[in-house]
Amino acid sequence: MRTTKLPESQQRAVLRTALWLAAVACALFVYTLWRGMK
Amino acid sequence: MATAHHDEHPTGVLRWLTTTNHKDIGTLYLVFALIMLFVGGAMALVIRAELFQPGLQIVQPHFFNQMTTLHALVMIFGAVMPAFTGFANWQIPLMIGAPDMALPRLNNWSFWLLPFAFTLLLSSLFVPGGGPAGGWTLYPPLSVQGSMGTDFTILAIHMMGISSVLGAINVIATILNMRAPGMVLLKMPLFVWTWLITAFLLLAVMPVLAGAVTMLLTDRHFGTHFFDASGGGDPVMFQHVFWFFGHPEVYILILPAFGIASQIIPTFARKPLFGYESMVYATASIAFLSFIVWAHHMFTVGMPLAGELFFMYATMMIAVPTGVKVFNWVATMWKGSLSFETPMLFAIAFVMLFTIGGFSGLMLAIVPADFQYHDTYFVVAHFHYVLVSGAIFAIIAGAYYWLPKWTGHMYNETLGKWHFWLSVIGFNLTFFPQHFLGLAGMPRRIPDYALQFTEFNQWSTVGAFMFGFSQLLFVAVVVKAARGGKKAGARAWEGAEGLEWTVPSPAPYHTFVTPPHIK
Repeated sequence: MRTTKLPESQQRAVLRTALWLAAVACALFVYTLWRGMK
Repeated sequence: MATAHHDEHPTGVLRWLTTTNHKDIGTLYLVFALIMLFVGGAMALVIRAELFQPGLQIVQPHFFNQMTTLHALVMIFGAVMPAFTGFANWQIPLMIGAPDMALPRLNNWSFWLLPFAFTLLLSSLFVPGGGPAGGWTLYPPLSVQGSMGTDFTILAIHMMGISSVLGAINVIATILNMRAPGMVLLKMPLFVWTWLITAFLLLAVMPVLAGAVTMLLTDRHFGTHFFDASGGGDPVMFQHVFWFFGHPEVYILILPAFGIASQIIPTFARKPLFGYESMVYATASIAFLSFIVWAHHMFTVGMPLAGELFFMYATMMIAVPTGVKVFNWVATMWKGSLSFETPMLFAIAFVMLFTIGGFSGLMLAIVPADFQYHDTYFVVAHFHYVLVSGAIFAIIAGAYYWLPKWTGHMYNETLGKWHFWLSVIGFNLTFFPQHFLGLAGMPRRIPDYALQFTEFNQWSTVGAFMFGFSQLLFVAVVVKAARGGKKAGARAWEGAEGLEWTVPSPAPYHTFVTPPHIK
């Protein structure tokens, strides 16, 4: 069970990093399929 | 910082299903990896038992092919990668002074995808037509023609890929956002650095593998012809896409091992790591180069000469940063006050044997030589020196090193040393003769062979059983340490440095609730 609540700014920084990275991963997956179709 | 700290957590199975604690999740990963090591190891022993003599004795060729394919998939995705993720979960927050991973619920999900993925993968053995049998590289056309087991494999790879990408996102978000005040990037322990770079590699290449196997799936069932020459597709394109994932994957399997060795060697040499910054830059260089060498796995497909030369020279360049690392480890030991506890023995064996694997890799990088070595046992010997005496020896070294921190007890040193010597002798007996088999022309992935290869194969099989069964000693050591033994102090090793050695052993359920200040 999580017992430490991070400060708001740190929470936002974590979320921003994670969402950017997830977007990059999704883009790479789509790009691979797109290259395959060319 | 608002904190409400209490150590209560559910007990029994519910604790492990619902946990978001990095130490619990680290333990889950490590136990899972150990189980998979034995599953993949059992498959290896089926292979070696069949190869003890020429001719077919124990298994049918189709089952043999399933064993070679699944052995690789289980060891890579089930044993080595989860083991390193287990170390990451346990150690990264402790090493950077963070209370937990940045995304604890995501962390739970990343782990719990794995048992389902591997149940799916291994259950493919029981469907009509059996499991995947075309090799772990899943090259078409074999993988397009394979049984339903191949579909199970594709879906299992998707699940493992999602798990790895989520794990990588968590590691990066943790390291970039959760470091204790004063822990600037160039003060981070090498293990944290190697994992940061590994996580970027994972994030860059797992989606590419997912794309490749998705195209395989649509070729199999939805009428596409990505890899079917008769429909305008190209089977060689699969090899390019696969190895664009596959070569960085090799570094995903070895960079955290470099990190572990870089923690252990200074501890038992009682000296700071030689060339810390050059180690960081060498790791980053290796990661960069790993993206521009993929076609050295496919020199024999018929590439233009300019392409072959480019990939040959680019591959050889990797020897430079790798050489920097090996030099730095040796220089760390030079004139150190060395002692040879089990983690150090495994770390030294790692440096020596991994280097042998590196040299045979250089031999394979030479295009005209590779035309001779390609698809022979020389390649099998090469990558086992890199991945067994490289990755797995480092994992074992790390387990011995941090076991006192995890369990609060020192392990049995005598049993540890027995485990080391049996492993190192068994390993070399298994894989060193395979160099000669390959040079003499024995192809890989075959259940039968010509008579002249018999003697080396017999040595290899004896070594494999010795190596395999000696791992039971490792289990005995771990279980004994978990259940009791000599109490370990906060700093379990005299020469150990770093934040993880400032907290008691075993590490409390919650650590660094208030971040430490790094000077």
